[in-house]
Amino acid sequence: MNNRITAKNMADLYREAANRYKSLPAFATRKKELEWDPVSFEELYERGLNLATGLIEMGVEAREHVGLFGDNRFEWILADYGVQLCGAVDVPRGRDITDSELIYIINHARIKVAFVETKALLDKFIELRHDLPGLKEIILLDPEASAPDLVHKLDNVIQLGAALRKHGDTRAEERIAGIQPDDLFTLIYTSGTTGKPKGVMLTHANMMSQVKVIPIDLNCTDRVLSILPIWHIFERVFEVFSIACGVCTYYSNVRHLADDLKNVEPTFMGSAPRLWESLYQKILKKVDKSHWMRQFLFHTAYFLSRQYMNSIYFLTGKELKQEPASKLKRIVLSPFHAVRWLLVLPVYGFFNVAVLEPVRLSAGGSLKATISGGGALPEEIDRFFNYIGIPVLEGYGMTETSPVIAVRLQDNIVIGTVGPPMENTELRIVDLETREVIYPNSNRPHKGRGVRGEICVKGPQVMKGYYREPDQTKKTIEAGWLRTGDLGMITFNDCLKILGRSKATIVLSSGENLEPEPIEMKLNQSPYIEHCMIVGQDRKYISALVVPNLEGFRDNGISAGNLEELAKKSEAKRIIQQEIKQVISVSGGFKRFEMIQDVRLIPENFTVGEELTNLFKMKRHVIQDKYGDLIDEMYNGKPVGVA
Amino acid sequence: MEFTTQLLYPVDQVLLAVMIFSIMFGMGASLTIDDFKTVIRYPRGILIGFLSQFGLMPFFAYGLAIFFELPPAYAIALILIGCLPGGTTSNMFAYFARGSVALSIAMTTASTILALLMMPILLEFYTAEFTRQISAEMQTAGSGAEFVIPTMNIIMSLVLVLVPVAMGMFLRAKSRVWAKTAEDTAGFMGIIVIIYLIGTAFVRHSGLMLQTPPAIYISAISVGLLGFLFGYWMSRLFKLSPIFQRAISLETGIQNGPIAFAIILLSFAEPVQSQMLWLAILYSTFIVMSSSFITLYYRRVGKFDFEVYKNTSIHNRLFGDEYVSDYPDGFLPKRIENDPSQGLIPAQKRD
Repeated sequence: MNNRITAKNMADLYREAANRYKSLPAFATRKKELEWDPVSFEELYERGLNLATGLIEMGVEAREHVGLFGDNRFEWILADYGVQLCGAVDVPRGRDITDSELIYIINHARIKVAFVETKALLDKFIELRHDLPGLKEIILLDPEASAPDLVHKLDNVIQLGAALRKHGDTRAEERIAGIQPDDLFTLIYTSGTTGKPKGVMLTHANMMSQVKVIPIDLNCTDRVLSILPIWHIFERVFEVFSIACGVCTYYSNVRHLADDLKNVEPTFMGSAPRLWESLYQKILKKVDKSHWMRQFLFHTAYFLSRQYMNSIYFLTGKELKQEPASKLKRIVLSPFHAVRWLLVLPVYGFFNVAVLEPVRLSAGGSLKATISGGGALPEEIDRFFNYIGIPVLEGYGMTETSPVIAVRLQDNIVIGTVGPPMENTELRIVDLETREVIYPNSNRPHKGRGVRGEICVKGPQVMKGYYREPDQTKKTIEAGWLRTGDLGMITFNDCLKILGRSKATIVLSSGENLEPEPIEMKLNQSPYIEHCMIVGQDRKYISALVVPNLEGFRDNGISAGNLEELAKKSEAKRIIQQEIKQVISVSGGFKRFEMIQDVRLIPENFTVGEELTNLFKMKRHVIQDKYGDLIDEMYNGKPVGVA
Repeated sequence: MEFTTQLLYPVDQVLLAVMIFSIMFGMGASLTIDDFKTVIRYPRGILIGFLSQFGLMPFFAYGLAIFFELPPAYAIALILIGCLPGGTTSNMFAYFARGSVALSIAMTTASTILALLMMPILLEFYTAEFTRQISAEMQTAGSGAEFVIPTMNIIMSLVLVLVPVAMGMFLRAKSRVWAKTAEDTAGFMGIIVIIYLIGTAFVRHSGLMLQTPPAIYISAISVGLLGFLFGYWMSRLFKLSPIFQRAISLETGIQNGPIAFAIILLSFAEPVQSQMLWLAILYSTFIVMSSSFITLYYRRVGKFDFEVYKNTSIHNRLFGDEYVSDYPDGFLPKRIENDPSQGLIPAQKRD
């Protein structure tokens, strides 16, 4: 691609960026609304080298795992520079880490030195110190906080390194020269299906391959606003990509987002569906509250834009094609679309300029594109932003693929898909039961397009494996092909469409991952509940579908002839809700996002062969399809479309 | 060519009056005292804009009229259009063409006020020959009257047009929210009325379209295009930065059409009125199209230098006025190499 830096490893990339972009700002930290602190590429690299030398002096070996516990802030990236420049590996995690995760990760990754962001987190470390026998040194990131004895301050380690380098210490440079492409640069722990976190080993080559092929062009005149957690690989890849392109990253947060969008006017952002959802609601609310004349103007503009864009999508073949396209239909419809496009064009032009531009300004106004990842973007919202002229590129990936597998291209936006696979990436759709390759398969009609199956990936971004979990690694990577656990299909215009998960893991729209099984198991213990299934994929919260237990209710004085009758009783629903509230609580060891917000009773029992397998396991996608209406009802039912 | 039917029916005239009023009111509602202060902030840009607006444009109009030997009524209308102050839509076009909106607004403001002085002088100067021709025609037709440019009436119409502007400014001073709504509503109504007027005029007078000689079409289109072209090169000659060049170019070519309608309706009578109106309608129609194309073109060529300007000014907004953005060698084009902020932030200037 154009002028991004491509390098052999992270340390090389950091050095090249300093050489090329020099005094341009690399990162900026908010002090006040209009007062930000920039740090240049040169300065960052210089301080990073000092820190690396300090770390080496403290005994950090090449390829050693160094803990990095904290959220987005400049010191985080500085710590990352230090770790990369001394040839070590960082093990990142956010401030919201639980005690058990903390103990597990530090011991499993054999961490000896850890960066800790805040005083509060530090206190947690001190409290748990007896469970962390291997941990020798802690470095505190927050420059404002005071460090107790035996805890190093970041600045002190940097000064230590600076003094050594002044006297000719070149150990950091030697370490950089020794980094191999196959060495790890990070080890990211994700919560796995078994409940135990798994350490995903990502190499320098993994990351460099992503930086090389991300299909977006940025340069020194761009600005990136960072709001997603940096320890997620999704945000991290964009920060590294920004460094490669000479782009300044501005650290924002949810609280200041609206102001920062206005003041920084970012040209690019990595974002989660949740952000777009809330921005969408904000825009609609603002429209609803405005003068009737403006409401009328907005709705007219939106209507015109929809006509205009849909004709463009049709004419350029960018509409969602889940079935083989009929040539005849295309030939017949094309002139109509062309006429509609031509008729709407001048009026659309005016409304686009006069009405939609101010709406775009509320999202910063300069956004060239944004990539939404970490969960599925609801289609209405996806359409809304593309219609009003903010190109939202939906991407698909996972930590194990560092992370991007596929992403929509700016000049090839097919709404409802996550675009074609990235360059150098091979995709397969595999039958869940028989493991037969559905796509690409020349024996099938249309090479297997349009058929659903598990998505498997092969490419330079696929992880090295799970750290110290060879069995898990073998299960996930078969002959170089990584099983994603997601269901998908290839559309007839060669884009990937995601159709849910084959694994049970639920990803909320906030990006939180949770396993439904432990919650369901707990609920199934209740006498009132026969079966229950947790739903909430891509939603804000989770809910439950419950088959009530007829006997259980009878024993407690509520009798009904059959399930249908029982399901209609409001009392039954109330009792189940109470039961859920009691069993699934924070004090019961569940996380806040694991709280069940709504419930629906199912009027008939699950049967083997239909909703259940021979082993009485729930077929989640069958249940989801069958009771889709009930599920939608719990999330307000009504689609979020405009007008 | 003869106007056998009336070009505008009374109902159209009322609509036109409503349109002029609402557009000028909307213009006022978008203005603040600060816009007048920016006039002082960019003296160079304003001066060059002034030269191209009141120096080049009337001259081009006159030149076209002479070159194509236009009938005198059309010639006068063309010159009148050449002498008009900048249109309010130029601000919107400047925005989308990645030009300096502040300069565009300042130029529109300054030229609208200066028009009170400049228009009578320029009209007197350039139209003398054509008024003589009309008088001669009228003499031979035997009416005995003499045709003169109604200077006083023109000044009065200009003043009258400025009344809704003042009202709009008053509203803006009282309530920002209402002013914003008024501005949008006015813009929307203006568009509807202009589409209606042009549509009906073309439907009713489709014969007229065919009768109109090509020279008149060419002049109506070229006067705007010449304005764009020379506005751009003149400001480039004076070494203004690209964002100013684009603003001045659009400001020069886009004239305030509604004022032309007001002056023609209030100050001129038949037999010249219909012909003059027809030219004004042609100009207004084609200028929307040509400025749209020019804007799309500027938007494309100006993309990079505008992004540099934007990024640089955001650096200064967030990191302080003293911050200097140093782009890698060879990254910036020559034109903005010495000042990536393009004259807007003193700290960025280096030589």
